[in-house]
Amino acid sequence: MLKGGLQFIMYRRKLLALDFNQPENFNVADESQFRNLILWLEDQKIRHYKIEDRAGLRNLSSSDWPKTCETYLQELGSPYQLTEKQEVVDWILGYAVRLEYGDNVEKYKSASPESTQQSKQTPGASSNPLDSLDFDDADFKAGVASLAMMLQIPPHPDHLEQLKAICLLVKDKLSKEALENAAKKSTKNIESIPLDKTELGFDTGDYIINEAAKILRLLHIKDLRDLQSHINEAIVSVQALIANPKTDSRLGKVGKG
Amino acid sequence: MCRFITTTVTMVVRTYNEEMEYLEKLDGVSWRIKKGFVPNMKKSIGLPDVHSGYGFAIGNMAAFDMGDPEAVVSPGGVGFDINCGVRVLRTNLSEKDVLPVKEQLAQCMFDHIPVGVGSKGIIPMTAQNLEEALEMGMDWSLREGYIWAEDKEHCEEYGRMLQADPSKVSSRAKKRGLPQLGTLGAGNHYAEIQVVDEIYNNFAAKKMGIEFKGQVCVMIHCGSRGLGHQVATDALVAMEKAMKRDKIDVNDRQLACARISSQEGQDYLKGMASAANYAWVNRSSMTFLARQAFAKMFNSTPDDLDMHMIYDVSHNIAKIEEHMLEGKQRTLLVHRKGSTRAFPPHHPLIPVDYQLTGQPVLIGGTMGTCSYILTGTEQGMADTFGTTCHGAGRALSRAKSRRNLDYTDVLAKLQEQGISIRVASPKLVMEEAPESYKNVTDVVDTCHRAGISQKAIKLRPIAVIKG
Repeated sequence: MLKGGLQFIMYRRKLLALDFNQPENFNVADESQFRNLILWLEDQKIRHYKIEDRAGLRNLSSSDWPKTCETYLQELGSPYQLTEKQEVVDWILGYAVRLEYGDNVEKYKSASPESTQQSKQTPGASSNPLDSLDFDDADFKAGVASLAMMLQIPPHPDHLEQLKAICLLVKDKLSKEALENAAKKSTKNIESIPLDKTELGFDTGDYIINEAAKILRLLHIKDLRDLQSHINEAIVSVQALIANPKTDSRLGKVGKG
Repeated sequence: MCRFITTTVTMVVRTYNEEMEYLEKLDGVSWRIKKGFVPNMKKSIGLPDVHSGYGFAIGNMAAFDMGDPEAVVSPGGVGFDINCGVRVLRTNLSEKDVLPVKEQLAQCMFDHIPVGVGSKGIIPMTAQNLEEALEMGMDWSLREGYIWAEDKEHCEEYGRMLQADPSKVSSRAKKRGLPQLGTLGAGNHYAEIQVVDEIYNNFAAKKMGIEFKGQVCVMIHCGSRGLGHQVATDALVAMEKAMKRDKIDVNDRQLACARISSQEGQDYLKGMASAANYAWVNRSSMTFLARQAFAKMFNSTPDDLDMHMIYDVSHNIAKIEEHMLEGKQRTLLVHRKGSTRAFPPHHPLIPVDYQLTGQPVLIGGTMGTCSYILTGTEQGMADTFGTTCHGAGRALSRAKSRRNLDYTDVLAKLQEQGISIRVASPKLVMEEAPESYKNVTDVVDTCHRAGISQKAIKLRPIAVIKG
């Protein structure tokens, strides 16, 4: 008999192959998990019964459930009894995998480590429609390119990097807060200083690299400013709790003049 | 013309002409003292406002290599008024707003800020509060709510020296310091209401929030009062003994020093850092009072008056800094006495807002003369370890000023210039008369020409509050 951690390893690969929801956490000793797994396999993979005939298995909390399951296992031709739970789970998982393979022989024949790697990325069910986007689709690339053109972002050979730049710009300049801030600021004219008037502080010997270094310095200063503002905010919020400045003019003499 | 010379006391007696042999003129504004003038001196720089002082000259920078086990720290290289310094607050008021109520405003400031010899602070302080303030510096003022978060951001060293250890400050020093916290003191210290007279560098001025000529600012010049003086005195006594033990010979007892690594050296650095923290709390308390005075006068809030601190510089302090020496990065203990740190653009130790302009350098004039805001430069970093002048620099000694000048004349002259003055002890005013000092404009112009700092803004006083 296998106990504890080994069980996970025992079933993990098969559960993974079947796209089971939580292949890492399945615990065969937990009766409710066991029952749920059997039902899930019948519902999704084995489909031995017609849907309306699965009512007995579906009634997970019923005291008759073991009996129904015993019958079910017999009908599938299981060599093990319900009392040998670990063996039953291993066998039924193998059975389901066999059926799954049988349904898609062609697809699995051509499977290679690379192609399975990609499809494995999101084992859990995701409700985000963006996850099902094909980021390498030609249409998608074209969309990124035209967005970049509209926002006047210089092109980048990697369209995903380009997309990151677009996200940053939208967040910084076009989000609701940013637009509100801009509206406030536009009343004061913003001071700008030409890049060639700023001091780099060192010389790389190359004009282009100097310019790039200046830009990096400016971006760094912007990050520092944000950090400092957060620090100030933190101090102010603590001050709101503890600060209590007092003066008492009786203590000293002021205004002798 | 001012010269870059070091007036560290010499051990051999030379005639004037013999001394001149050691001076080599580099260009119009700088001179080099040849090797051998003072044996074993690493690097010492005299700035254009240099004049003689206790041990080291005032207007002087002396650096010692931390990597050298023989390196020393000297209280005389820092001065008695530890972390004496200047801070400038801006406002969004113009001269026009202030002129009609100038007298009342000067009086209001005078009513809020305790000044003069023997004055006492009006911010309630217990012995426990003082211990905390010595350890925390401006973080204490922040915690208690006397200043704004942005004030800390715009202060040299962020208003707190971390190596401070209040247990290294004698109880005598604490006893002197406790009632004086939050007072301006006397001597050359003052609070001034100033207006922008000239903008030389538009971009730098904008970064400091200075938008137009005539904009009103407040300058506060003060230090660590009796506490700093006592810390320095205590250290001199302790070091005199240590020098005998460690066999350090100097030609003058005013040059008392101790190895940085020795107990006495470490104790002094920790005590000095505590006194520096005291000075920042002191200036912060007066910032709070000045903001209150303005808010009351203009029936507004300091926030609405945009009374942000532009910067706060230290004049008398020793700090561990990284500098390039003979092409290598070295960790140095830089003593600045009557001189100001002036770091260039992009230096990591200056606030993010001044990364492009260089550190603001606040140069307080003397009573009734102009003040300046300069910015630090790369050249200053290389030539003078990021150091520039701190003010006019005394030309007549205090005693000589008292003999030669009459206080009523001094006050009348200020009146004539349209400067309101409130002074706690008028009879000492002639010590601080403009005639007793070098011309601050000459000093600043010399620094500008030497390239060790650049002029950004000129400020003109309209009201002075003095001890």
